[in-house]
Amino acid sequence: MSETIIYTARRILTMAPHQPVATHVAVRGGRILAVGDVDCAAPWGGGRIDDRFADRIMLPGFVEGHAHLMEGGLWRYAYLGYRDRQAPDGVWWAGLTTNEAIVQRLRDVPGPGPAIGWGFDPIFMSDQPLSRADLDRVSADRPVAVLYSSLHVLVCNTVALKMAGYLDGAEVDGLIRDGAGQPTGELREMAAMFPVLRRLGVDFRALTGGAAVLAAFGQSARRAGVTTTTDLFSAQTEADLAELQTIVEGEDYPIRLVPAIGVTEGDPVELAAMMARMAAKSGPKLRLGAVKLMTDGSIQGYSARLRWPGYVNGAPNGMWNTPPATIRALVEGFHSAGVQMHIHVNGDEASEVVIEALAGAIAKGGPRDHRHILQHGQLMDAAQFRRAAELGLGVNLFANHLYHFGDQHYALTVGPDRANRMNACRSALDAGLNLAIHSDAPVTPLSPLFTAWCAVKRQTASGRVLGAEQAITVAEALNAITLGAAWTLRMDHQIGSIETGKFADFTLLDQDPTEVDPMALKDIAVTDTVLAGRVTA
Amino acid sequence: MSRVPLLVVGGFLGAGKTSLVTHLLQQSGGRRLLVLVNDFGAVNIDAGLIAEAGGDSIALTNGCVCCAMTGDLYYAVGDALDRNPRPDAIVIEASGISDPARIAALALAEPDLSLAGTVTVVNAEEIGALLDDPQIGAQIAQQIAAADLLVLTRTEHGPTEAAGERLAAITPAPQLAAPFGRIDPDLLFGLDPAAPNAPATPAHHHHADHFAKWTGDSPAPLPADRIRALLENPPAGLYRLKGWITDETGTREVHRVGRHLQLSPAAARSGSQLVAIGPSGRFRPEDMAALWREATAG
Repeated sequence: MSETIIYTARRILTMAPHQPVATHVAVRGGRILAVGDVDCAAPWGGGRIDDRFADRIMLPGFVEGHAHLMEGGLWRYAYLGYRDRQAPDGVWWAGLTTNEAIVQRLRDVPGPGPAIGWGFDPIFMSDQPLSRADLDRVSADRPVAVLYSSLHVLVCNTVALKMAGYLDGAEVDGLIRDGAGQPTGELREMAAMFPVLRRLGVDFRALTGGAAVLAAFGQSARRAGVTTTTDLFSAQTEADLAELQTIVEGEDYPIRLVPAIGVTEGDPVELAAMMARMAAKSGPKLRLGAVKLMTDGSIQGYSARLRWPGYVNGAPNGMWNTPPATIRALVEGFHSAGVQMHIHVNGDEASEVVIEALAGAIAKGGPRDHRHILQHGQLMDAAQFRRAAELGLGVNLFANHLYHFGDQHYALTVGPDRANRMNACRSALDAGLNLAIHSDAPVTPLSPLFTAWCAVKRQTASGRVLGAEQAITVAEALNAITLGAAWTLRMDHQIGSIETGKFADFTLLDQDPTEVDPMALKDIAVTDTVLAGRVTA
Repeated sequence: MSRVPLLVVGGFLGAGKTSLVTHLLQQSGGRRLLVLVNDFGAVNIDAGLIAEAGGDSIALTNGCVCCAMTGDLYYAVGDALDRNPRPDAIVIEASGISDPARIAALALAEPDLSLAGTVTVVNAEEIGALLDDPQIGAQIAQQIAAADLLVLTRTEHGPTEAAGERLAAITPAPQLAAPFGRIDPDLLFGLDPAAPNAPATPAHHHHADHFAKWTGDSPAPLPADRIRALLENPPAGLYRLKGWITDETGTREVHRVGRHLQLSPAAARSGSQLVAIGPSGRFRPEDMAALWREATAG
């Protein structure tokens, strides 16, 4: 019989209703044997006390229900974001607030070869727009490129422009020119970016898979206190599943991973059969079987599908990445086959189409315990939440958007009143829905405590509060980043709370989130994580 | 190294894109076509069929075009260009909801590619209802607006005038009725020097009346402003224009497809040579000849 270890904590917030607070948790064989005080394991013969967390606050390991493996890939390039951010290797990179600081950091990129940075977001910068002239100061003979955090835009130096043939007077959509007709170095959208990316050896495909990316992703998640997360539009194929299994199920891999396979078209019967084969390969740490469907685009990119009255600045309605007729066919096919769906819905027309598609599919039969999840649901109103509740759906709302893009939504995309009800966590809970909240990392940084802060304070980057009435309590937010998110992954019987029988997955904090000023939630430090009873590093 | 022509085949689900691409492969006339196919497509082109027709394929497993995170399509084109030898042409069957203009934009940006054209395939029986659909109509119209050439399928069962009028209201791009996607590959690739193995006469004579061709030749340098005006405002129905023009400032290679005009520096020549092509009935070579005479008149 394996050893019993009793971890002591200053306080354990279990998220279990029958015993919300404890001081000790006994672990045996990777699972929770007992929870309570120092004697909790006495009926089981006691155990060895481990006091290393005696001054920490313990919570169940956080669950991030909507992230992407690419979070682990981008760190091979220099981080140029505005906020401080910790790399998977543990190094803290200071946020950069001036163009000069960006130039300095890129100069430090070891050569030879291109100097590439990522995470740049001009909406936070008050400096002049970052330009080719700035990047020419990094180097006059190395190519230099800076990827925006959206990955839809890059800025590069003269060497890079020349490599792509962009100094020969080419007329290219997305090649931005200044008043004198000279390229500024800014390239918008993939078609214009690609000739530079290709020549600089930047392959986005290499950022979303492979052993190194998986390892970095696991570390990135662990450092944010996340013990279970997703890759929510996975390109995983059956052919290379063995490699993924070996890595994730390995004892040293620090998280549980739930890839949802991306689907935009195809025969749902064949795809459901493939999902069943993949699900059969699930283990304690790698969970397969769910799919991710796309519908519309993004609100800040004006490609989300909105109901009347549409975009407040008069932009035309967005685009479907999957046409409604295909959405209906896939939803019906997957539902009847019992395949769980995570469905991307940003605009409220997209959520409406998907809710109606699900209503139609569910009316024809299929499993009752389907747990289909509306992902993002950014513009869902109270009526859509009530309808979703009637159908037994769950929602995973994009709380981080309130901070990162809230000011743009208020001023440019949907206007004040709809911006105030974006990611309406209060309405979702009031409708009786299971709620999760997410970062969509790497779109916004992976940090469940920051995500919880967003749902509680609803503050934009400029400090404006968007719809205080839609705020949720700290307790509700903590539930959303643990048990609530676990439910969306069909794992709430195994993770998400500290209860006897569940996996011994814990997150240790330096302060009690229920005692600090809610404004300080985002500033609480994650000191350790524990996966299956092992302290991870 | 010469630019590799890239053909974009767009159109909504069920329009007949796969039939058209399959036909192009079967009638490739010795050209080594590389086809990018969407692995999750409802009707997959059989890789065996592609190989049998002397072509090759790269399968994309991810059809989503919403964001750069899934830039698989662009990188697959990069892989095609990295092959040795390079294919004679690349054909992309766009996914049913993608905007072909965004793919064509790559051919216009990438120095190793030229745009062979954007062909939007339209199901003549369904297009009216699709354009009227409040959810998808605008996106369908965008696909049509992006076209350099519109190919109408399902034209064998009845009149197509109504469909043609709906399309003409969106774009002046030439329209070509082609049941089952049977169009002449020479309309799409025939002007390209990148088809060294192409037979001198098409093996598929039944297509001979599909397109009309014009060639022009001028031994002396031309007035720059007049020739530029001609290149920018060619006659109606022109699909592609290719060749060299020499004016007082030097020689440039001309490549026009639909509304996209690309002029690139070329080795100096003494004269000018142009070839133009367009669907019969839409493109009248005599119109082009008249404009050419006007532009080249002493």
